[in-house]
Amino acid sequence: MAFLILQNISKTFGNTKAVIDFNLEVEKGEFVSFLGPSGCGKTTTLRMIAGFELPSSGHIWLDGEEITFQRPNRRNIGMVFQAYALFPNLTVAQNIGFGLQVRKMERRQIEERVREMLSLIHLESYADRYPYQLSGGQQQRVALARALAIRPRLLLLDEPLSALDAKIRLELRQEIRRIQQTLGITTIYVTHDQEEALSLSDRVVVMNQGQIEQIGTPLEIYNYPQTEFVASFVGQLNLLPITALDLAAHTCRVAGQTVRFAPDERYHPSLERPRLAIRPEEIRLGLAEGANVLHGVVEAVIFLGAIIRLRVNLGDGILISVDQFNERSFVPPRIGEKVTLHFPIHACWLI
Amino acid sequence: MRRYLGLLWSWFWMIFGWLYFLVPLLATFLFSLRAKKDALSFLAYERVFKDPNFWSTFAFSLQIGFITILAGLVLIVPTAYWIRLRLPRLRAVTEFISMLPFVVPAIVLVFGLIRVFSGAPFFLTNTFTGTYTVLVAAYVVLALPYMYRAIDTGLAAIDVRTLTEAAQSLGAGWPTILFRVIIPNLRVSMISAAFLTLATVMGEFTIASFLVGIKAFGPYMSLVGQNKTYESSSLAIISFALTWAFMGLIQLFSRGRAEAAVAGAH
Repeated sequence: MAFLILQNISKTFGNTKAVIDFNLEVEKGEFVSFLGPSGCGKTTTLRMIAGFELPSSGHIWLDGEEITFQRPNRRNIGMVFQAYALFPNLTVAQNIGFGLQVRKMERRQIEERVREMLSLIHLESYADRYPYQLSGGQQQRVALARALAIRPRLLLLDEPLSALDAKIRLELRQEIRRIQQTLGITTIYVTHDQEEALSLSDRVVVMNQGQIEQIGTPLEIYNYPQTEFVASFVGQLNLLPITALDLAAHTCRVAGQTVRFAPDERYHPSLERPRLAIRPEEIRLGLAEGANVLHGVVEAVIFLGAIIRLRVNLGDGILISVDQFNERSFVPPRIGEKVTLHFPIHACWLI
Repeated sequence: MRRYLGLLWSWFWMIFGWLYFLVPLLATFLFSLRAKKDALSFLAYERVFKDPNFWSTFAFSLQIGFITILAGLVLIVPTAYWIRLRLPRLRAVTEFISMLPFVVPAIVLVFGLIRVFSGAPFFLTNTFTGTYTVLVAAYVVLALPYMYRAIDTGLAAIDVRTLTEAAQSLGAGWPTILFRVIIPNLRVSMISAAFLTLATVMGEFTIASFLVGIKAFGPYMSLVGQNKTYESSSLAIISFALTWAFMGLIQLFSRGRAEAAVAGAH
């Protein structure tokens, strides 16, 4: 039996279905992310695990015990919020010790646990500060320590990095992963940032409009997206309209040019309006033996630092994005220049 | 040149405003010093302070004020908290209700109270305790606008929902959340609510005079005002000083916190 089981969970607010038939099993020590755009139901699902919302139907089990309707303060689940939610009237040490005090732990033990937590988040010298004296990143680390101090059965993080600067976000992301690995604590992480989900998680649950689109490892999610939504939400994706399709020969026509694709049982393209999917980073400039070749005219050159993104018109107004790694010697094509593109046959698939 | 004129203009209005407030106050003060013929003296003040009725009515109203504050806080803090947490749609309604004392004249309120609570089934006004209860209840209603506003503003300054959920996830039940998380963060607004209530109760005339008469400070002040010329002016100055002292205390308490915050930052 899995450590955390969500079975047929649904949640309706008035007429809106926030979560529809959500099923998930999480193993002990696993790091699972809920990824999706805002309003997709990921936070609602997390809040149902925490006990702040009650499911309209379905069951939740934690460590063999049904907790569906258990009060949130009885669940022993640690939670970290986007807005930090540190108690402004308490010092860092008192914040971390709050849950232990509620549990009527002895003072000496509380002090010891607080020290241990402070060293875990590298804020030993901040014990007597108040939350308003800390930076956002420090506050969130204290919030993490506070949630972990009670030795929770499960750690829930609700977009914990969304309120922070890009650089701090990256730092804290690594910190969260390190702490999770050190303690081996089962973790659910809610985010709308695909990079966070992919870099942190053992498994990712991609959600859209209250439903699970796909569950898989970060690699599976990125390389073998099961739905059009997953393909376009996670990473960049070109979706090219097809004018003619030959399923037997595994060829199709895109903007009057022939493209071969590899057969793949994982995919069942819609035959009404099939489209060719290909990631921009799979496409290279120039010709190559045995690869698909497309011709077009450069419409835009977008400089993104490590990457230079070209928008190429293949004809009939069909645009394709092409990502080139930036090298110092690389001279990007000019706008209006004719270019030849190639990509491996296995890199593209039908949706 | 234009800037100079503008500056002059704003100074003019400021000084004008100050005079508008200060001249009557100063005149009253000077008048209160003339109890002794042909000399300035604090005789009127002496007489007021020597009057045992001054002290007894003052103590009575102070007591009623403290009970009102306690009752008001016990009623309003949990209510305002719960409305912010779970019933945000009711906020408009409660805000409207809290404003009613401004709309319903005190005389209407007190007549209504006497009508309801002097006959069956409540014979409250037949006993002292009963009458005081009605008085406190009326004052809680009268103080509602100040109290509810102050507490609600305090709640708006903290993220009530997330703090509550954070405390819940750490295992806290409702009493712990209320006493260890919500109330400590409402200290400043509770203090200002308390002082505003106290100032209201100390000066209140209509309800007090109908329910307890000359026992309360408001009716006492009014009686003195009708009968004793100089003492009434000195009482006016004393009650002014009292109000200002309360306001000063609010400032002191709210600033005390801010200064501690700044000092702690070093």
